Amino acid sequence: MTGRMIIKYAFRSQTRRFRRTILSVVGVGVGCAMGIIATCWIGGEQEMTVRAASESGAGHLKIVPAGWLETRENTLRISEWKRTLALARSLPGVKRVAFRARTDGLLAFGNRTSGVEVTGVDPDSERAFNRIVYKSKIQGRYLEPGDAGQAVIGRELARRLKVGLDDDLMITLSGKGEIESAMLRIVGILDTGSQELDLSVCHITLTELERMTGISGPAEISILLDNYKRIDSTREVLARELSGRNRVITWKEVAPELAAGMEGDMAFARLLVLIIIAVVGLGIMSAQLTAVMERRREFGILSALGMPGRRIVGMILTEAFLIGLGGALVALAVSFPITYRLASRGVNLSALMGGLNSFGGVLIDPVAYGDLGWWVVWYAFGVSLAATVLASLYPARLAQKIDPAEALRRI
Amino acid sequence: MSGTDGNFLITARGVTKIYRTGQIEAPALRGVDLEVKSGEFISIVGPSGSGKTTLLNLIGALDSLTGGELKVLGKDVSGLSRRERAELRLHHLGFVFQAYNLIPVLTARENVEFVLELQGVGRERSARAEEVLGELGLSEFSDRRPLEMSGGQQQRVAVARAVASRPRLVLADEPTANLDGENAEVLLRLMRRLRDEQGMTFVFSTHDSRVVEHAERIITLTDGRVSQDERRNPDRG
Repeated sequence: MTGRMIIKYAFRSQTRRFRRTILSVVGVGVGCAMGIIATCWIGGEQEMTVRAASESGAGHLKIVPAGWLETRENTLRISEWKRTLALARSLPGVKRVAFRARTDGLLAFGNRTSGVEVTGVDPDSERAFNRIVYKSKIQGRYLEPGDAGQAVIGRELARRLKVGLDDDLMITLSGKGEIESAMLRIVGILDTGSQELDLSVCHITLTELERMTGISGPAEISILLDNYKRIDSTREVLARELSGRNRVITWKEVAPELAAGMEGDMAFARLLVLIIIAVVGLGIMSAQLTAVMERRREFGILSALGMPGRRIVGMILTEAFLIGLGGALVALAVSFPITYRLASRGVNLSALMGGLNSFGGVLIDPVAYGDLGWWVVWYAFGVSLAATVLASLYPARLAQKIDPAEALRRI
Repeated sequence: MSGTDGNFLITARGVTKIYRTGQIEAPALRGVDLEVKSGEFISIVGPSGSGKTTLLNLIGALDSLTGGELKVLGKDVSGLSRRERAELRLHHLGFVFQAYNLIPVLTARENVEFVLELQGVGRERSARAEEVLGELGLSEFSDRRPLEMSGGQQQRVAVARAVASRPRLVLADEPTANLDGENAEVLLRLMRRLRDEQGMTFVFSTHDSRVVEHAERIITLTDGRVSQDERRNPDRG
């Protein structure tokens, strides 16, 4: 155990070499602050990606028929969908729920045609759930419950087909074993700002889709949670309650390319943080090694007085701990203004995105916010203390091995 | 640890020490035989390079001997591990170094307390440190750091640190080398008083004739061997 006098000794030893101590503390603090800022940014980016994917229709969780994930077959439907929908809505931490079905179709106007995925939605829940609906500019109106023979399409799709509001489109789609055709009147044109998304939007009511395809019920129930960090725990609860004919998946399974991109970014960022910590650690090790070499005689005297080697190690680690504490405070002081700015105002990336605000069918928010929370304090103290203490182990071990007689001969 | 070899606190038989630097061998001790009883007040004298400091380092378990046998407080020091040597130094030996070697960032009282804390002395260590400093006439300097004290005061603090835990054996390497006559005299009287009152054994290495005058036994080392071992009865103290 480190005694009071040893702590006092360690503290005063640091104040004795004030300039070096300050440089070490600032070095640890700035390095740690870089790690905090990078983690804040990455965490924010991760949250932004999850939110973008989930709010663009995928949900944090999605209930799909068994077999859908493997086949992506649009004719599959949720078993006991009303009971399942009620179950999803009753779960704690669930913010919103929407349900849909999809089918591939061909839209035609005059001699112009375009293939499209037609989505049958519940208008009220879709309007509250899907950012592609509520964040877009709309010409006309969005669907209302009870709308029949009416559709909302994307601006780019409208441009290609050269249609406008109140024009009637012919839709051809595969029904229950045969091809079905119908006329749809355009009541709204959505402008998401993304050509990719605007070309793919064709919403009709779920009731209308059921009527046209002859297949009843939704093919997916998407769930938005209050906190995306509860995806896995909520999934477990839901999976236990679902019948074997339905399955719960996460947004990562719905949008695997987006999830893979995010994982890659995270891995790179973690590597960057590790490199920063390693560089800081090497700097501290170098400074501590120099200090041990300079204090060789001092450690020799301590050893001559009978100070056990483990207590010499303890004293040097106490000195490192003090540097780490100072470093953590510097890290918080340096990083807070930046992380606070990132978290409160965000950074508008629209100029960097070059007009692309969607990826893989997901509408991405151009303003990225950092992730700021109490984790910053734990991070600052944890990383700073761990880096300084670990980096001081080798110098401490060297100090422990100093031969007292040899050290005392050096005057 | 109370064991001694018979009545002797230190027993050396044919102790040799050779320093090796690459292929070069430099013998420092060439077969020292020595017996020291408890309560003796001994000066080890001899020219530079005669092996005085080496002998003190070996007795103090700071260095390892090349040959022979050396027992301190009944323990064969060559058979002790690094940890056991530290234990021996901490609990049974006191050291006074030529260059004081106080911890510069601690005050006089803290320097004394530091060793007591290492020994596991509890709350009473502060009072004991004050008491020893008082005995050495350093009460008013107890809150001063080494750089704020004179050489004589620092050396007295070093003695206080060495004797605070009442070790059985105090080893002092040239303790008066940096002191003027008056301070050297005060220090030597003090050590003799500690010997008389607390039965401590003092072994000095010195060139200083003032120290020799106080010694009751003078061991002369020449070229790594004991060339003379003289007992006397000084009138002082």
